[in-house]
Amino acid sequence: MRRPVSLYGLTFSLPLLIWQLLFFVFPLVFLIALSFWTVRNFRMQADFDTVNWTTMYGRAIFWQAYGTTLALAAGAAVLTSLLAFPVAYAIAFKLSDRARRWAIMLMVIPFFTSYLVRVYSWQVFLSDAGLINVMLGWVGLGPYGLLNTPGATLLGFVTLAFPLVVLLQLFSLIFIDRTLIEAAHNMRCGRLRTVFAVVIPSARVGLVIAALFAFILSFGDFVSPIYLGGGDPTTLSILITDTTKSGQQWPRAAVIALTMIVTLMVVAFLSIRFAYRGRK
Amino acid sequence: MTQDPTQDPLVTFDGVAKRFGSYTAVQKMDLQIHQGEFLAIMGSSGCGKTTTLRMLAGLEAPSEGVIRLSGKPINDLPSWSRDTPMVWQSLALFPFLSVIENVEFALKMRGMGRAERRARAEQWLDRMGIAEFADRNISQLSGGQRQRVALARSLVVEPQILLLDEPLSALDAALKVRMQSVLKTLQRETGITFVYVTHSQSEAFSMADRVVIMSRGKIEQIGTPQEIYRAPRTSFVADFLGSSNIFPGQLTRDGQGQPIIATPSGDFALPAGNTLGIAGQSASLTVLDTRMQIHLQPPGDARNSVAARMIGEEFVGATATIYFETEDGREIRVQKAHEDLADLSLAIGKPFHLSWSPADGHLVSE
Amino acid sequence: MNQENEANRNPFVNGALKLYVLLAYLFVFAPILASFVFSFNSDRFPSIPLGDFSTEWYRAVAADPLVWEGLRNTLLVGVVVGVISTALGFGAAYTDYRYHFMGKQVYLALALLPPTIPVVIMGLAMLAFLSRVNLSGDALAVIIAHVVICAPFAMAVIRLRLSQMDPSLEPAAWNLGASEWAAMRHVVIPFCRPAILGALFVTMAVSFDEFAIAWFVSGLNETLPVKVLGFLQGQVSPRINAIGTFVFVTTMTLLILAQLLLGRPDATEKE
Repeated sequence: MRRPVSLYGLTFSLPLLIWQLLFFVFPLVFLIALSFWTVRNFRMQADFDTVNWTTMYGRAIFWQAYGTTLALAAGAAVLTSLLAFPVAYAIAFKLSDRARRWAIMLMVIPFFTSYLVRVYSWQVFLSDAGLINVMLGWVGLGPYGLLNTPGATLLGFVTLAFPLVVLLQLFSLIFIDRTLIEAAHNMRCGRLRTVFAVVIPSARVGLVIAALFAFILSFGDFVSPIYLGGGDPTTLSILITDTTKSGQQWPRAAVIALTMIVTLMVVAFLSIRFAYRGRK
Repeated sequence: MTQDPTQDPLVTFDGVAKRFGSYTAVQKMDLQIHQGEFLAIMGSSGCGKTTTLRMLAGLEAPSEGVIRLSGKPINDLPSWSRDTPMVWQSLALFPFLSVIENVEFALKMRGMGRAERRARAEQWLDRMGIAEFADRNISQLSGGQRQRVALARSLVVEPQILLLDEPLSALDAALKVRMQSVLKTLQRETGITFVYVTHSQSEAFSMADRVVIMSRGKIEQIGTPQEIYRAPRTSFVADFLGSSNIFPGQLTRDGQGQPIIATPSGDFALPAGNTLGIAGQSASLTVLDTRMQIHLQPPGDARNSVAARMIGEEFVGATATIYFETEDGREIRVQKAHEDLADLSLAIGKPFHLSWSPADGHLVSE
Repeated sequence: MNQENEANRNPFVNGALKLYVLLAYLFVFAPILASFVFSFNSDRFPSIPLGDFSTEWYRAVAADPLVWEGLRNTLLVGVVVGVISTALGFGAAYTDYRYHFMGKQVYLALALLPPTIPVVIMGLAMLAFLSRVNLSGDALAVIIAHVVICAPFAMAVIRLRLSQMDPSLEPAAWNLGASEWAAMRHVVIPFCRPAILGALFVTMAVSFDEFAIAWFVSGLNETLPVKVLGFLQGQVSPRINAIGTFVFVTTMTLLILAQLLLGRPDATEKE
């Protein structure tokens, strides 16, 4: 309002600004500088050398990991969206207000349970003598090697992203104007057709954003690819942790991190443009 | 307009009721809607008018009774299997579709080919005078233009019946009047049956051939606007229309054996030939506020009259509404042109006498 | 009429959808509940049929000095992170509520974006940066990094509460002679008190569960989730379940407290 710059106003505005500039923006910008540093005798030196970029981009393993990560994250985004949509739809349109409140509350709980613990549970479920193989054995199937497969990695990604995707989809579905659905029914548009002709287009922005979040979460996760996927084929996040934790090759890890950030920015930009396409 | 009493009605409600839990929105209703008429259903909010319309469109399931369309029961038909297009109060235009895509929607759902439905949609946009906006987004249109899109979208399938749920309530006063004439003309030209739900007396009375007045889930009166205005059937209708003064009382006879109504404000002579008159029965006498005269002295003739103190006045354009209160505390409203008031030197608190000819009174049941 | 009306309802379709919802919740809660069950199971590799009831994993955990060390670090970090994040988040929420200025979009982006950056990238950036300024390998490093990702949550919670505040409340206080500071102390903060406490608990809960960034920057001062990551890397150990169950119960307690504080309909009106 009046006098935006005052000691009083700055007291509240500045601390967060300073903190995030210092400990969020600056470290990320520092990654750019770091990616041009060199490592000699296990010691990093400030430098301006493109060797890290050429080395990393010259490795087949890097591009293979890039392809794997992209494919797995995209797969997770699509799979999670498809699996979550009927849940969000049913909660939004088929439950009473009371049941809906409960459903939302329950869906929030997973955010506050350790992802590591949940991944560990899946490890136990999926192992050769685990719960799932035992149950398959009852009907004369298996045992199958379920653990250390890309499928298991995807399962982990879905575990990670599913609650968030359901909630984001749900919030976009809840705010659909109900009269639009009635109007469609009124014009000979049947139940299932209405979902595709009216519900999905109305909620498109929310649905795309939900898928985008599933992509971002999966793209950066290293726990599921290592502990459920067995680290093979490797992913960018595994490469970062390996490169960082073993030896002093941080500049190379920075190259990977920056590549990931640029990829995420492109994907986010494209999805948001797609979400708002045709809208003014 | 073109009602042929021998023709079967297009829609019949046979003892239709709707309950939401313990709340009854519509009580056992019988109603016939004729082919080609403009029917307005009017009432205040919560009277059941919108529920009635929504049952017809299949958006609510009746709790009881049968709704027939062209003689066939439609209770069990889902909305999408009925041809009862509706125009919503919110218009319910699809924001993610362009104007012409909105109008094409119903044709597309019927499986009509692309070229043909585009042509049909264009034709209707043209007819509604909005052809130039075909490729616009809904959000780029004005209120009146949206209204026309909504009408085109529903009419493009050339239905037998069109349902309208307070479609004009979001418009400003001038646009409202313009759209009323658009709607009326459209209805005459197409001969489509319009069922128009509204809380506005002026909308209902200016457009409809017949008006249904509802209150608390019940039909209070059905009739042409003139019939209802001149002869409200119940004191609720008289009160709802707001243009009559109402004197509740008991029917009886005076010393000469003439039928009169005894009210707390006085005994009044009744209009000749009234059919309600059974002595001892409760009834109300209603008198249109334009039919009352204001005097400084009692008129002293055969007219009915009552003494009242002036309590307020209100001027709208050329007419004035003067408010009075009788000795028993009843409020009476009188409408007059300004020039008729010149000799009275009106002042708040001043006593006057109000009179009307017995022929201008109208008896209604409670 | 939020629920679907009776007309157009198909019991078969609705039944199938509800069954699917049930299965989805089963999928979400299966690993959480299993961990709870496994933590009391004597088998090292739990499967069907389950082994005997046992508290040996809890005892093993309780006997491990490194776990206690981790718990101490976690609590210390969590409490400090909660307090700092809530203070910063409150300032940002109030700034967004009250002021309009050039570059506000950028300010809000800085305030809200950090949780969307993948944790490995944040971890690496933090490690590289903090080690340059000799802060890495310290509980302080974990605190700094956690505040970055927790402050946005605090801001969101408090901003929501501020949006419920009558915008004329503060001007009314000034009009009655309160300075801006006095209005803040006697009007804004009391109004936001439940949200402030809620934000405190939510940010603490987020910090308690965060393992990736903490793993990058903590060095030897491991927090409990980093310890769990260590167990996961090592041999298969149901001790994870014991710790997980313990952390889950703690987190849920914090959240329920937060919910009670936020959900009380007229928490401030009574004051």
